[in-house]
Amino acid sequence: MAEKAILFDSTKCTACRGCMVACKQWWGLEGEKTQNFGSYENPPDLTYNTWIKMKFTEIESKRTGGVDWLFTRRSCMHCTDAACVKVCPSGALYHAPLGNVAYNNDLCTGCGYCAEFCPFNVPKLQGGAATVIRKMNKCIMCIDRISNNQEPSCVKTCPTDALVFGARQNLVNTGKERVQELKSTYPNAYLYGEKELGGLHVMYVLTQLPQVHALPTNPEVPVTAIAWKDVLKPAGYALAGLAVIGLGLNYLAARANANAKAESKSKH
Amino acid sequence: MEQRVQKYTKVARIFHWVHTAAFILLVITGIFLYVNAGLVAQDSWSRLVHRIAAVIFVLAPLMQLIANTRTATASLKTALTWGKDDLDWVMAMPRYYFLVDEESMPPQDEMNTGQKLWYFILLVFSPIFVITGILMWFFKDILPSGVFQWSIFFHDVAFIVVFLMFLVHVYLGVIHPLMRQHGGSFSAMVDGTVTEDYAKSHHGKWYQRIAKK
Amino acid sequence: MTNGWNDIANSDCILVIGANCAENHPAAFGHIMTAKARGAKLISVDPRFTRTSAKADIYAPLRSGTDIAFINGMIKYVIDDIERNPSNYIMTYILEYTNAPFLINPDFKGPAELDGIFSGLNADARSYNTATWQYQLDENGVPKRDKTLKDPNCVFQLMKKHLSRYDVDKVSKITGTPKDVYLEICKTFAATGKTGKAGNILYAMGTTQHTHGTQNIRAYAILSLLLANIGVSGGGIYAMRGEHNVQGSTDMALLAHILPGYLGIVINKDVTLQDYLKRLTPTTKDPLSANWWGNYPKYVVSLLKAWYGNGATKDNDFGFGYLPKVSGNATALHSWIPLFEAMNKGTIKGLFCFGQNPAVGGPNSNLERGAMDKLEWLVVADLWETETAAFWKRPGTNPVNIKTEVFVLPAACHYEKEGTVSNSSRWVQWRYKAANPPGEAMADLEIIDELGRKIKEVYKSGGKYTDPILKMTWDNGHPASSDKVLREINGHDLTTGKLVTNFVSLKDDGTTSCGEWVYCGCYNEEGNFTKRRDLNDTPYKIGLYSKWTWCWPLNRRVVYNRASVDLNGEPWDKEHPVIWWKDGKWTGDVPDGGFPPMSVDPKATRLPFIMRNEGVARLFGMGLADGPFPEHYEPWESPVKNPMSGTQINPTCIIGASAPGQRGTSDKYPYVATTYRLVEHWQTGPMSRNLSWLCELQPDMFVEISEELAKEKGVANGGKVIVESARGQFEAIALVTKRLKPMNVDGKVIHEIGMPWHWGYSGLVTGPSANVLTPHVGDANTAIPEYKAFLCNLKKA
Repeated sequence: MAEKAILFDSTKCTACRGCMVACKQWWGLEGEKTQNFGSYENPPDLTYNTWIKMKFTEIESKRTGGVDWLFTRRSCMHCTDAACVKVCPSGALYHAPLGNVAYNNDLCTGCGYCAEFCPFNVPKLQGGAATVIRKMNKCIMCIDRISNNQEPSCVKTCPTDALVFGARQNLVNTGKERVQELKSTYPNAYLYGEKELGGLHVMYVLTQLPQVHALPTNPEVPVTAIAWKDVLKPAGYALAGLAVIGLGLNYLAARANANAKAESKSKH
Repeated sequence: MEQRVQKYTKVARIFHWVHTAAFILLVITGIFLYVNAGLVAQDSWSRLVHRIAAVIFVLAPLMQLIANTRTATASLKTALTWGKDDLDWVMAMPRYYFLVDEESMPPQDEMNTGQKLWYFILLVFSPIFVITGILMWFFKDILPSGVFQWSIFFHDVAFIVVFLMFLVHVYLGVIHPLMRQHGGSFSAMVDGTVTEDYAKSHHGKWYQRIAKK
Repeated sequence: MTNGWNDIANSDCILVIGANCAENHPAAFGHIMTAKARGAKLISVDPRFTRTSAKADIYAPLRSGTDIAFINGMIKYVIDDIERNPSNYIMTYILEYTNAPFLINPDFKGPAELDGIFSGLNADARSYNTATWQYQLDENGVPKRDKTLKDPNCVFQLMKKHLSRYDVDKVSKITGTPKDVYLEICKTFAATGKTGKAGNILYAMGTTQHTHGTQNIRAYAILSLLLANIGVSGGGIYAMRGEHNVQGSTDMALLAHILPGYLGIVINKDVTLQDYLKRLTPTTKDPLSANWWGNYPKYVVSLLKAWYGNGATKDNDFGFGYLPKVSGNATALHSWIPLFEAMNKGTIKGLFCFGQNPAVGGPNSNLERGAMDKLEWLVVADLWETETAAFWKRPGTNPVNIKTEVFVLPAACHYEKEGTVSNSSRWVQWRYKAANPPGEAMADLEIIDELGRKIKEVYKSGGKYTDPILKMTWDNGHPASSDKVLREINGHDLTTGKLVTNFVSLKDDGTTSCGEWVYCGCYNEEGNFTKRRDLNDTPYKIGLYSKWTWCWPLNRRVVYNRASVDLNGEPWDKEHPVIWWKDGKWTGDVPDGGFPPMSVDPKATRLPFIMRNEGVARLFGMGLADGPFPEHYEPWESPVKNPMSGTQINPTCIIGASAPGQRGTSDKYPYVATTYRLVEHWQTGPMSRNLSWLCELQPDMFVEISEELAKEKGVANGGKVIVESARGQFEAIALVTKRLKPMNVDGKVIHEIGMPWHWGYSGLVTGPSANVLTPHVGDANTAIPEYKAFLCNLKKA
């Protein structure tokens, strides 16, 4: 099946935040208790109950008015090289056939490794502070909708087509064309996610450098994830295996020798 | 009736088993991160058990230190004192354990070198467990995620080493044919005694010492 | 709106002024994005850099309340350019379709000569005698024209003289807009005057809520007409409605000064139906004028027949005598501000509030909440316990002292009832019921129906004058049916009992009934057109979707569309034709009067603006209360002396009885304040502040201030400030932003403060209401309150 993706065009986004509400509505997520902290932005970050949010950034600009107001989507990027899938010990997180990163909530042990290794700090956990029993939640690109030929709910509700859903390859082309159009006005225009982390399944048309949009430049799977998952874990399995084999062999040898000794003793 | 020698006090045995129980719980609940346990680990009850066990795992030896300071410090001292005897043990070990050649092993004190090593490893790696564990448990929201990530790494390095040694410990303590002779070593941690024969053959030096008393 | 939402996509330049559609009309913004993808320019003019500005190609700040100066300067730019480069404009349109060449009474004098006022002012009565504002007529009674536009009394020359004072320097001095940006906007928008180009103007409450709000829109109209943007695809003026059915409520006359279908309210002098019709039915002697309002009697009589049925006979003036009469200027006497002033005086004793929340939405809310204390009874029909329903237990009051009896009727929400809503595109769309209302909640129609039946029952037992109630038709079915009501609105041929085809068939002899003539044709014997859902866009594919639901009038999607073609019936813009004269008939949209093009049949033809008795659009508009041309006046409260004339404020604006005693001056209240809405909340908040998903997005009341003002006041972003006007004060969170910048106005640095008005004391999230600050003054024509420009002070809390 062809991989699907979402293309977010920041130049078309009006930050109406219908996507945020549509997401909560579709998934029945609770509203948060928030406080205005001197910004239009809220909730302050993604949470267990907030899978998508818009980031508002005011910057000085040469445009009329001297200011630019950037609206940037913040949600799961559905990476091809997904650190969360890599480190998830229980196999709860996985790549669905359409390329999105979904998870099996039942399998989630609440370890939180996904949250700590994600280069975008997306997965969020919630649970009892005392019991530490908790679960992870994040955007799964409306896997129920997209596997039934519908758009994700955020895309469906977007009034300006700032969010488009479709075959990833087509959207890469659309995004590249759009970036070319924008280059004359915005020399730093960039298609974020085409190559990052083996290709993101949520790509961004940006007018400024990624860091200005509060996105990491060259995001990578943390080296610790590789050290843990690709070095330490295999070493652990191997050493445990060797130990069991070694001890087993020792047992066989020792028992044989002990028996031999006992026999020779009884013969004497 | 066979003559028995007291090897471990009741207090020492209780702490040993509490510590062991905590360790086994820690292993079971931790191993879910290595072995996909499927739905067994769901609802993350394992995280709660792991933390309770961790507290016991940390408190048990500390309490033992307080409750039985003299013996505990003496053991600590032994575990940290290394000498020529230990080198001899290492040299003799292959013949002893593989060929069951009891003659090859020089007489050992109350704690033989292998036991000392196990004790030593616990002394070194327990703090790694504790420090990385505390970082991950209480400080993950404050510290950069790199700290958490490296904590996972070193917690697991410690786990691999200690777990392997634990396997060896159990194997040698309970399964190895030599340890099952003369009533075996296991009773030392059950009723605190071993047979005289066992004491003679496995801890000759120690037996000589206590026999004199 | 002259055009429909979809048609925005066909524009070449979209001027958004007095509106913030990205936030308040987010779905409409999709059409703007489509236009932008075609290369259209988006211009945003707003005191604040808004989410609309963030998407604009050009953004210009202006001081609140100075739109007229801003647009007048643009018109002056266009007039000057027309004289220099007439080929860049459609001169035929200006000469034939507007009153530019019409000659005005030589006694007419304007603000240029009279220091800011027009001839005929009665300053004490705050009104004009418009005798000098009229056309010169020839011997046949037809208005005189000078198509060379040279006559000093022709509209074009008068306009030029009037606007000569609005040069770029002066405009910039008044508005605070930097000159370079202003000129860029003039140039960009004027480019839509070219044949085949179209620009539109999108406005909302930022335009209307001023003491000169109607004149703001007049200015847009003049600019649009000179650029030939009215009637064409991609052009037009967009009155973007703030609620999904505000258009419907206007059409149905939920207003003080009209009856349904924009028919005038009855006044004391209208003793008989004939008096009334004589006063309001326009006449013309111009053979080329269609003068559609000549049909006034048909619409009025059909309305009376709908209201009184068999009780309306020729002998009793069709029940005309049953109608209540107003003793003077209905707007000045019975619109919002005077209503609450009357309540405050104790004259009005009872109040019905349907989906209204005056405790938060009304200007000077402290005064209006206090006015409600004096009511004997209050009925609130709403989905929630609004601030209005809970006014008697609001913070700072003791319920013991409030004697008002409050009835709260739980109402169904829009998904819990069926019926039509009319959107800004004038589309009357049937909406089906999706779910049953919870508990005892009922649809508004059912509530009103029950109420009506109960009132009739009570009146049966007698009273002073029971006929108006007892003779009233009240046959809505049981339970009341929207379908039945829509049939009544469309009207019947009373001789056959069949539904009327459209308003062309209405008669003034009592043989037809019609509840709202502009809706006539929405539901005839062919069916209920408001239920149509055909997405075929024929024939010119400009997004008319003529078979999707039904549009008033007569399913005409673009009004004044006969101005979109030249004298031969060929569209100015052949890429986006609205109508086209082909093979002896019109194709495309429903033409505005089916008359042939002017050159094709000079006899049978009629001028394109059929609703005006002169047949053309008015650059000079004699119909308004405050002058035929827009003239800049300062808001009721302003930090500067009017730089344009010695007349500080609109001399005819509506001033509430309480207002003069609560007028702030710039020494005490130095900052200009304006109010607005956020995309995250809805009006006074009951619909959104009771929904946690929206509360989380905008939890608290805040005020937006510039970094410069914050520094001056020692205020940190996210910190608390106290804002006060001459009428009230509150504490809120300061949102310090680069998006507001101090303005240079007439040599003074002026700070502007922005604040949303969504909060109140009920709901999941609560907060102070911005309207405790706003004044009790209103527009001269509509009396809409001046919410958008007033003075306040700000200090660190």
